[in-house]
Amino acid sequence: MLFPTVEYALFFLAVLAIAWSLYRFPQIHKDFLLLASYVFYGFWNWTYLPLLIGISIFAGLVAQRIQRSQTPTAKKRWLIAGVVVCLSALGYYKYTSFLMTTMLQVWGRIAHPPHIQVYSPLLPLGISFFVFHAISLLGDCYRGKVKEPVQLRDALLYVAFFPQLIAGPILRASRFLPQLAVRRNPNHIRINRAFLLIIGGLFKKVIISNMLATRLVEPVFAVPQSYGAWDTLLAVYGYAAQIYCDFSGYTDIAIGCALLLGYRFPRNFNAPYTATDPQDFWRRWHISLSTWLRDYLYFPLGGSRNGRMRTYLNLMITMLLGGLWHGAAWTFVVWGGLHGSYLVVHRLWSRIGWAPLVRWRATAAWNWIARILLFHAVCLGWVFFRSSTFAIAFDVFSRLRVPGPATLATGPVLLVLFLGLAGQFMPPRWRNGFEVEMGRWPAVARGAAVAVAIAAIEILGPTGVAPFIYFQF
Amino acid sequence: MQTITHPIRQLALVVAGFVVAVVLLESQGLASWADHLDIGPLRTVAVPVTGAIKKALDPIGIGAVREHALQALARVGWSDDAALLADASGNARSSSPKPAECVLPALSNAPNAASIPGSKPGTATSAVHPSIPGTTGTFSNAVGSQTPLLASLPRTTTLAPLPPIAPGKPRVVALAGDSMMAVGLSATLLRQAAGNKDLRVIRAFRSGTGLARPEVFNWMDEYPAMIGAEKPDVVIVAIGANDGQGFVVDGKVLPYGSEGWQKVYQDRLASYLAMVSSSGARVVWVGLPPMRIPVYNQKIAAINRIAYTVVSQSPQATWWNPDSYVGDDSGGFREFETLPNGQSMRLRATDGIHLSDEGAGLLTNVLMKWLDPPPPPSVASVGAPAPAVGVAERPAKPKRRVRHPSKG
Repeated sequence: MLFPTVEYALFFLAVLAIAWSLYRFPQIHKDFLLLASYVFYGFWNWTYLPLLIGISIFAGLVAQRIQRSQTPTAKKRWLIAGVVVCLSALGYYKYTSFLMTTMLQVWGRIAHPPHIQVYSPLLPLGISFFVFHAISLLGDCYRGKVKEPVQLRDALLYVAFFPQLIAGPILRASRFLPQLAVRRNPNHIRINRAFLLIIGGLFKKVIISNMLATRLVEPVFAVPQSYGAWDTLLAVYGYAAQIYCDFSGYTDIAIGCALLLGYRFPRNFNAPYTATDPQDFWRRWHISLSTWLRDYLYFPLGGSRNGRMRTYLNLMITMLLGGLWHGAAWTFVVWGGLHGSYLVVHRLWSRIGWAPLVRWRATAAWNWIARILLFHAVCLGWVFFRSSTFAIAFDVFSRLRVPGPATLATGPVLLVLFLGLAGQFMPPRWRNGFEVEMGRWPAVARGAAVAVAIAAIEILGPTGVAPFIYFQF
Repeated sequence: MQTITHPIRQLALVVAGFVVAVVLLESQGLASWADHLDIGPLRTVAVPVTGAIKKALDPIGIGAVREHALQALARVGWSDDAALLADASGNARSSSPKPAECVLPALSNAPNAASIPGSKPGTATSAVHPSIPGTTGTFSNAVGSQTPLLASLPRTTTLAPLPPIAPGKPRVVALAGDSMMAVGLSATLLRQAAGNKDLRVIRAFRSGTGLARPEVFNWMDEYPAMIGAEKPDVVIVAIGANDGQGFVVDGKVLPYGSEGWQKVYQDRLASYLAMVSSSGARVVWVGLPPMRIPVYNQKIAAINRIAYTVVSQSPQATWWNPDSYVGDDSGGFREFETLPNGQSMRLRATDGIHLSDEGAGLLTNVLMKWLDPPPPPSVASVGAPAPAVGVAERPAKPKRRVRHPSKG
């Protein structure tokens, strides 16, 4: 079930009504949300529901074992066993095909590879997200961040809670389980914030992302040879805006829906293209993933505690694996490697203590230069991220040197491209102010205003909604 | 920041205001959504409910405002819907090629009638195919006669040579279909044809479409709008992957595979074929490749038989079986291929449905040789038709046979 569909709207309205009618009975309330989450997931394909339930139960039981273990060694053993099983499931479903293809290609360079007839497994929707939730549960229990004993029912809901199930944000067990431990308080719902997030998310996803995808990015990345420098450059910028609007739009809707149900999700994007250095970028882009990688991968590798060279190595490993998490292809590994190298280069650059340079780096002019440089470095990575093969990525780069008209630069495309990129510079106080202003309107009028906004988005949106990019991860 | 608090009552009022306003503003959109649903319980409930709401609210005139808004947006170039754009610019059908009235030749010897899994065996009452409607914008809904389906699909096909192109005039090739064309085939062929001055390739495909549900996406409107004033010399079609579903004709549900379904689908396919070949274009109808999920594969095999039956009656069209390129030795699903040179490739996308770029490349290599044959070695043969291209172009598979997992 995709968020921007009538099916989801009907489903969510029903869940909202029933969930709040049950909030005085916390256990039934949670059971209902769990059931709704399974219906949501099964609406796409029931086949993989047992996998979701199986991983949730397994993670919940192992988390209980970790909490009950008396010695650090026993805790560690349970943690390792749990993480290995979860990662094995992810590895089997997501990376079998990649490994098989790579193995055959390498084999083919050495000798004639076997003539095999095997099938790689079909990728279950959202497996990368629910496996990471399961690992977070195990990790937080191991580190003692989950103070209360884990209830199996809560563990199941934490892993499968429908707003975040297929595309995040990636919740931390230590922050979400306490929310499940207390009765929902309807007075804490921020209706206006929730609706603004949902409308903003729909606008970004349905209008900006879809139009850029179908009318700018897809044609150029399908056949780069047919386009000149201006079209290619626009398509690269267009993809930067498209992926931001697609992903942040979807998680904004998820956060808004959770908020209406009385749950707080962490912010997942914070105007990433306003960042001035790579570290800043990763504090603003897919925040729940970057902090997950930091806490469960970079820190366990040693973080920055073991000297400079080891720090750089840890950064590279973290980003390379982060790239591989995004997709089982070498293009994603290169994307991760590029971002790892950006982080390393930035650390080296930051270490230069020459006084004039330090003063220059503190100026507004440098901030803008750094912002523009970083944006283009990020776009360089997006070309590999978007291209299905290296050949296409290099074709895109080579077309940037071929003069040619901007045939795809129509008014609507340029307008949504501008909105997708420049919208990130909108001061947060505007939205906060509007939220406060909305609070003064009568409740029915607020609902009607939301309906008008959604009707406008429906009319302005293209026919059909392009699949959500992050589903594949 | 100030925390704004709202009790449940306020939430209920907001939601109530939202629902009422949405129903008022979107009654037409909701009815359209219900119409587009797959045949099933949800549609059975949704269609009458949304239809009644729409009927009750029509007098307010919001639907008309909505239509005007869509037209206005199309006029300023906001929409990418080819048919809507054509309608908005007022020249929707004037330049569109109209399919010629034609009666496809009778099948003299159809060994077996249709047999789609789960359906009654077809009763072939007439060997004469119904006439193709003479206007665009409509599919035939006739549930009258039906051409018996041909028993088996040809494993190999020869593409007869195309006439040579006139000097300075490129061959116009339209790529038509659904995601089976959009994913893999089109991009690979477009890349191979890029920079080739002898070929001009037109995109006339759209993912998530098909011939079974014209109320969702009507190719009889969209194809003419997509090709505009062009008159393709060749049309390459790959379509049908979404067509394994029931539909409604004149208020009657025709479940997938039923006799009525087969007849209507056959007619719709014939109408589409007549339309794409109406400018005199040669048509290569690329059959659907074997699919990974067995139930789905059965549906696709049935759709292939219908397509082959219809296409094989047209002298301009050739049904081309992709199985010998991307299937296994028995025509089943195959994910990887190892070529004699040791190069391994993934033939199919990870969804088990679409072709990968490399898999598509096995087909487009043959198509490109057919569309733009290499110049003959001797001067004497300039202007002579290129040789036929057939299955022999396919790289030979290694001799070694490996047991298919499904066969134990």
